[in-house]
Amino acid sequence: MEERSNRNSREAIFESIRGALAASKVLDAKESELHHAAEAAAYLQPGIKHDVASLVELFKENLEAVDGHCIIVETRSDVVQALYEIINKLQGTYLKAKRIAVSDSSEIERLVNLVDVDVDTFAVAPTASEVFNFDVGITYAQAGIAETGTLVLDSSRERNRLVSLVPPVHIAILNASSIVQTLGEALATLRQAEEVSPIITLVTGPSRTADIELTLAIGVHGPQELYVIVNKNLEE
Amino acid sequence: MRVSLFVTCLVDQLWSSVGTSSVEVLRRVGCEVEFDDRQTCCAQPAFNTGYRSEARDVARRFIEIFEETKADAIVSPSGSCTAMVRHYPELFADEPDWLKRAQAIAERTHELSSFLIRVLKREDVGASWNGRLTWHDACHGLRDLNLKSEPRTLLKNVHGAEYVELDNADSCCGFGGTFSVKYPEISLAILDQKIEAIERAGVNAVVAGDASCLMQIGGRLSRHGSKVKVMHIAELLASQEMSGNVR
Amino acid sequence: MNHVTSETFDENAKAALADSQLRGALRNATSLFGKRRLAAAQGLTNWEDLRTQARAIKDDVLLHLDQYLENFVSQAEARGAKFHWARDGAEANAIICRLAAERNARSIVKSKSMTTEETHLNVALEAAGIQVIETDLGEYIIQLAEETPSHIIVPAIHKTKRQIAELFTQELGIPPTDDVAKLTSTARATLRDRFAAADIGISGVNFGVAETGTIVILENEGNIRLTTSLPRFHIAVMGIEKVVPRFADLDIFLKLLPRSGTGQRLTTYQSFITGTKQNAFDDGPEELHVVMLDNGRSRMLAHPVTRQSLACIRCGACLNACPVYQQIGGHAYGSVYPGPIGAVITPQLMGLEKTQQLPYASSLCGACREVCPVKIDIPRLLLHLRGEITEKSSPEVQQAKGRTMERFAFKMWRLMMLRPWAYNLSARVGRLFQGLVVKDGKIGRVKSFVGPLAAWTSGRDLRPLDQKSFRDKWASDQGKS
Repeated sequence: MEERSNRNSREAIFESIRGALAASKVLDAKESELHHAAEAAAYLQPGIKHDVASLVELFKENLEAVDGHCIIVETRSDVVQALYEIINKLQGTYLKAKRIAVSDSSEIERLVNLVDVDVDTFAVAPTASEVFNFDVGITYAQAGIAETGTLVLDSSRERNRLVSLVPPVHIAILNASSIVQTLGEALATLRQAEEVSPIITLVTGPSRTADIELTLAIGVHGPQELYVIVNKNLEE
Repeated sequence: MRVSLFVTCLVDQLWSSVGTSSVEVLRRVGCEVEFDDRQTCCAQPAFNTGYRSEARDVARRFIEIFEETKADAIVSPSGSCTAMVRHYPELFADEPDWLKRAQAIAERTHELSSFLIRVLKREDVGASWNGRLTWHDACHGLRDLNLKSEPRTLLKNVHGAEYVELDNADSCCGFGGTFSVKYPEISLAILDQKIEAIERAGVNAVVAGDASCLMQIGGRLSRHGSKVKVMHIAELLASQEMSGNVR
Repeated sequence: MNHVTSETFDENAKAALADSQLRGALRNATSLFGKRRLAAAQGLTNWEDLRTQARAIKDDVLLHLDQYLENFVSQAEARGAKFHWARDGAEANAIICRLAAERNARSIVKSKSMTTEETHLNVALEAAGIQVIETDLGEYIIQLAEETPSHIIVPAIHKTKRQIAELFTQELGIPPTDDVAKLTSTARATLRDRFAAADIGISGVNFGVAETGTIVILENEGNIRLTTSLPRFHIAVMGIEKVVPRFADLDIFLKLLPRSGTGQRLTTYQSFITGTKQNAFDDGPEELHVVMLDNGRSRMLAHPVTRQSLACIRCGACLNACPVYQQIGGHAYGSVYPGPIGAVITPQLMGLEKTQQLPYASSLCGACREVCPVKIDIPRLLLHLRGEITEKSSPEVQQAKGRTMERFAFKMWRLMMLRPWAYNLSARVGRLFQGLVVKDGKIGRVKSFVGPLAAWTSGRDLRPLDQKSFRDKWASDQGKS
C-alpha cells in the first residue's frame, strides 16, 4: 500500500511540475533573462599554474589559515618521525593520545608500528560502536587541494570514514604528488572514476562552530586537532 | 542639447527649489530646458504598493505626454522616479505596442547626475558651496541605475566644499514609500542608523539624489533639532555662493 | 513553544524592536557576516561570472526540473538509495515516522535542515514517541530552549552566551560559565552519547547531482558527518528544487555558498554521498532513504518571476544585508524562512491569507538582490506578490484591514494623477488646510485620523507643501527663481 501511495505522490508531483512549466511557457517567452541558456559547466581552471613544490607550500599556508597543522617531510622515515613527534607531544596533553585507531590501509598500520610511543589500545578501522574509545585517528588523504588547504578523503580507497571523524585528533598522511591546485581539479578527478565513490569527504581544517555569539570554537563535533603530514617522497 | 524636465510630483509640490535648481544647472551647462505642465506622477507609489492596474494607467499617460517632446533627453532630479520609468516595460508585458513605447521612453529618461556625467561628460558644473558635506546613496539610484561614482564626482568638484564619505553610505534610509507609514517603527529604526552615521560624519549638510530620502532623513534630523541640513544634489550643484553661509 | 506567526508580523516586529539585547546581537552578527561575505567575494576575480553562471544553471534546472529529477533519482536508485515522495510537509513527516517505526527506532539524531524545519518534523516524531535530537550546536541550543531558529545559517543568532550558559546550567546541570569553548565542549560531550545510541540519522541536502545521483551536504561542525555515518539508517530530506545537472556544477556552487553564507572559502566539511555503501563491512549506514518534498515548490514553477524563488541555495546573505532583518531579526517573520527570501518564499509556501504582511515588510532597497549568489531579483518578487495581494488574492485578503481604504486611496490617486486640474486642485486644497498643522515651517507630531500622517509624524517632521509649486514658478518665470 505504501508502494502505491509513494507512486501516487511521485506522479502527482511530476504532474504538478509539468503542468506548471507548461503554464509558464507563454510568460517565459517574454522574459529576456531566460534567453541566455546555461553554458555547460566546465571545472574552473586556475589562473596561474603552480609546480608541485609551490603547491605544497600553498597547501600548508591555507591549511594553517584554518587552524590545521601541516608538517612537510621528504621521506617515509620522516613520516614515522613526524608521527612520533605529534603523538608524543599530544601524550603530554589532556588528549592523552594513547588509544590509536588507523584506517585499514596496510601501509598506515606498518608506519604506525614503527612509531616508538606508548600505546594502550590500537585498532584497525574500528566499528561505529568501538570508534568512540579512541583518542587519535590516522588515515591517508587521497588528495589535497592547495588553494583551500583541503583534504579529499575517498572512503572507497580505505576505511577512513569513522577513523577520520570520531576521535578528537585526526592525523592524515598526504603524498605531495596528489595535491592539486583547485577545487575544480579535485572534483574532476573524483568524477573521472568509473563510479563516483559512495562517500567522499572534503575536510578543510578542524571542526569548528561560531554558533554562540559568533565566537569561533574549534572542535565541536568532529576532530579538534587536524595534522597533515605531507610527504614529498624524495628517497628514490 | 534640449532637455525635457520630468520634475516628479514630490519635487513639484514639496520641494520646488529642487526643480528650479535642476533648471539652473542644466541651463548653466548649455541645455535648453522645457517643462510640460501636463505631467504629474511616474506611478511609483501604486506600482510599489501592488496596484498595478492604477500604475499602468498613470504610466500610459506619462508615456503619452513625454512621447510628444522633441527634446533629446528626459531628465529627472530623482533616481527613484527615473528607475520607475525604466521599470515601465514590466507593466506592459502583455501589450506589445505599449511595451515598445515604454521601452523607448525608458531609454530616453535619465537621472540628473547621470545625465551630466554620462551624457554631457561634465564633471564640474561650476558650483560652489562652503562647508563639509556627505552623500547618501539613495537605493534605487544606486542599485537600479548603478549611480555610485557619478554623484560623488560632481560633489567633489563643488568649489569650496569638503567632501567626506558617509559610513554605510549605501545602506537604506528606511523610507521605502508606503513602507515608511505601514511600518513606521521599523522605518525609524533603520533611519536612526543613518542618522547616527550622519552625525558621526560631522557635516554641515547631507546630500542625496532623491527628495523622498531627504524627507525621511530631514524629518528625523529636524525632529531631533539637528544642525545638519539636507540638500538635494540639484540644489548643491545650483549653488554659487562662496560667501561661507551654510543655508 | 511560544510560536509567533506571520499573521502578527507587525506586533512581532515591534516586540523585537523593544528588545535591545536582540538588536545588539543582530547588529554585530549581520555587520560581521556582511563584511566577511564582501571580503570573500572580492577574493575571487570572477565573482560576477560565477553568479551569472550559477543562475543560468539554476534556470536550466528549473525549466527542465522533471527531467533532471528523473536522472537524479534513477542514478541514486541504481546505487542503492530509496526514494520517497511527499507532496506536502505532513506526508513527508508521515513517511519518516513510518520508516522509523518499521525499524523500531527509538532515538534519532538530526543535523540542521531547513526543509525539516519547514515540515515541523520534530513535532511529528515526538508525537510518535520517538526521541529526536538536533545536533548542530545552534539548533541544539534552540531545541533545549524550545524555540525556533531565527537565521538560516546561525539558528541561535538571537541568543547571548549568557542566556545559553543559563540554559545549559538549567538543562544540562553544568556550573555557570561564560566560556564559549566550555559551552561548546559540553554540547560535544552530551551529544556524543546521542550519536552513539541513535538508530537513525536525518539530514538535509544542499545539492543533488543529476548525472551521478550524489547528494552533497555542507557543514562546519562535523555533526552532519556523524549523523550520516554512525546510525544504521540515513534519511535525507530534500526539496525537489535542489538538483544540479553535473558534478562540475558543484565547482561553482561550492565557491558561492560558503562565501555568501559565512565568508569562508570552503566550509570545513563537504560530504558527497552516492547511494549506499558497497560492502557490508564498510563504515556507514545500511540504508539511504531520500524524502523528496514538494510542499508548494512545483507551483512556483508556473511563473518566471516566482520560479526564481527556487534558485535559492539558502546561504542567508540576504538576511544579513537586509535593513529590515538587521533591525527585527528572524522570529518576527513567523516562519522558518525569515528575511527577504523568507518574505517571498513563506507566502508562496503557506498562501497569502496568513502571510500577507510579509511582502510589504521591505523598503525595496535592493540590498538582497545585490548580495544574492544566484541573482534572485527579490524586490521584483516582492512587487509581484504585492500585485497578487491587491489584484488576484482571495476576498479575505483583498478586504483585509486597511486594504479597502488603501485601494480607495489609490483609486483617488489615479483620478488625480490622470488629470492635471484635479492634481492642481488637490495641491491647492492641501495648502489651504495644512495651515492647521504647519508650525515653524514643518509639520510636527500629528495625532490624526489620517493614519499615514500620524504614522509619518510619530517620529519624523513632515515637510509641508511649498507655498508655490514648481509648476507655478515655471508658469510665472520659466523656472528662473
